Amino acid sequence: MQEYDQRRTDARDAGQRLVARHVREDPFAAAFKATRMPMIVTDPTQADNPIIFCNAAFEKLTGYSSVEVVGRNCRFLQGGDTNPETVARIRSAIDAGSDIAVDILNYRKNGQSFWNALFLSPVRDDNDKIVYFFASQLDFTNVKSREAELAAARHQAEEAVAEATRNLRAALATRTLLVHEVDHRVKNNLLTMASIVKMQARLTKDEGQRSALMSVLNRIEAISTVQRKLFTTDDVARFDIADFARELATDLVGAIKRDDIHLTLDLTPVYVPAVKASPLSLIVNELVGDAVRRGLSDGGGEIHILVKRLNGHFLIRVEDTSEPVEPDETSAELGRMLLEASARQVEARIERTQAGRRTIVDVTLLVESEKDVPY
Amino acid sequence: MKVMIVEDEMLLAMELESEVEAAGHSVVGVAASSGQAADIVRDAPPEFAFVDINLQDGPTGINVGRMLAEKRIPYVFVSGNIKKLPDDFAGAIGAIEKPYTINGMANALAYISALVQGDDSMPPPASLVLAQDAPRPVRN
Repeated sequence: MQEYDQRRTDARDAGQRLVARHVREDPFAAAFKATRMPMIVTDPTQADNPIIFCNAAFEKLTGYSSVEVVGRNCRFLQGGDTNPETVARIRSAIDAGSDIAVDILNYRKNGQSFWNALFLSPVRDDNDKIVYFFASQLDFTNVKSREAELAAARHQAEEAVAEATRNLRAALATRTLLVHEVDHRVKNNLLTMASIVKMQARLTKDEGQRSALMSVLNRIEAISTVQRKLFTTDDVARFDIADFARELATDLVGAIKRDDIHLTLDLTPVYVPAVKASPLSLIVNELVGDAVRRGLSDGGGEIHILVKRLNGHFLIRVEDTSEPVEPDETSAELGRMLLEASARQVEARIERTQAGRRTIVDVTLLVESEKDVPY
Repeated sequence: MKVMIVEDEMLLAMELESEVEAAGHSVVGVAASSGQAADIVRDAPPEFAFVDINLQDGPTGINVGRMLAEKRIPYVFVSGNIKKLPDDFAGAIGAIEKPYTINGMANALAYISALVQGDDSMPPPASLVLAQDAPRPVRN
């Protein structure tokens, strides 16, 4: 106890010596004492590096009076939740005689903790010997708690986003499953419809009935092919009319097995929005079907199909060279109606020119340019 | 050629049977499940098979396909969703995507029949996606 008292006296003396070196009017001393920034000075030449001076702002911050702190090492500001690693860092800075700026949890006299932005710096004499340590404190508890609030808010937001993402993923999975299920149903139903028509066509003895059923089947199959091709692509929203034309024409000409019908194709991918797929496919179906029927009846011919883009428009041309024949009236009327309705649906222009044995049908239509870009 | 049809939609199976017979082939059996397919293969081995992916006992068509591949019986899948097929097509020659057309099926049948008899000179029809040409889905 006596030793402690002695140390306090020594510290106080040292502090007084320090102050005495400055005249009362010394603006630096006055500033030190009056500043709102809490500051202390310690004396490393004495045992345990005690505080020898503190200013009023320090007293106000910590709740300790000058009398209570002078002569003590400043570790009394530490408490239960002070990070020992931070303390160790301060310790080694002092040992190394270097500056340090750290955030440390300190405690006031009343036990309340505060976040202290501590800056500690050695003061050297002319011989470069450390004579004092100077420390300034800054209570940033409010900043720290705002940081904590922000972190908590961010954490909450992240949780909410994660939850929303989980829900979206689940909804998407359900939707995808539903789309696949509906797609599968539609495909099966289209094939079932086609099968019923095929069965009846096979059963009937009446050639007229059979031909009418096959005419219906032909259109059902055109729509079926659209459905198949629409969902085969990864991008459901687009449909390549050239791809459709290729499959339709090669399947048709392949199945009739006639060496005297020659098919040539000049096709560039042209993507159209899904809504235009069915009417456009019906148009292609009618034109190609017509050309093949002409070739069939007259004993052969040439069929040429061209699909290409043309300055923001696109062109489907079906050209055939064969003996023009008078088609069956009903089937010609149906074909004409389907063409007309489909053309009106997609705002396409159909031009037919006939010269001798050659028939050329041009279908032109405006396509949105961004839909044209193939990947 | 002796053909087996593995398809759980009876109406579709019946119509396909007619088309196969119209093309001059015979149908040794129609199976609606993987078990029935195994029975037919055991009792009346076909020379070729059409196999749907979804059967009465679930998506077991792929297993039926693997069994056929093991027994070296050539086959093609007939399905509304050929994207469900594994990359190796489970040993199938290829796949015909539903809804197929009467011409598409006739052309595929002609090609397959030639192929099974060892004639690979015919160009494959548009309706048949060959295993080696199958588009690999790009996942992002």
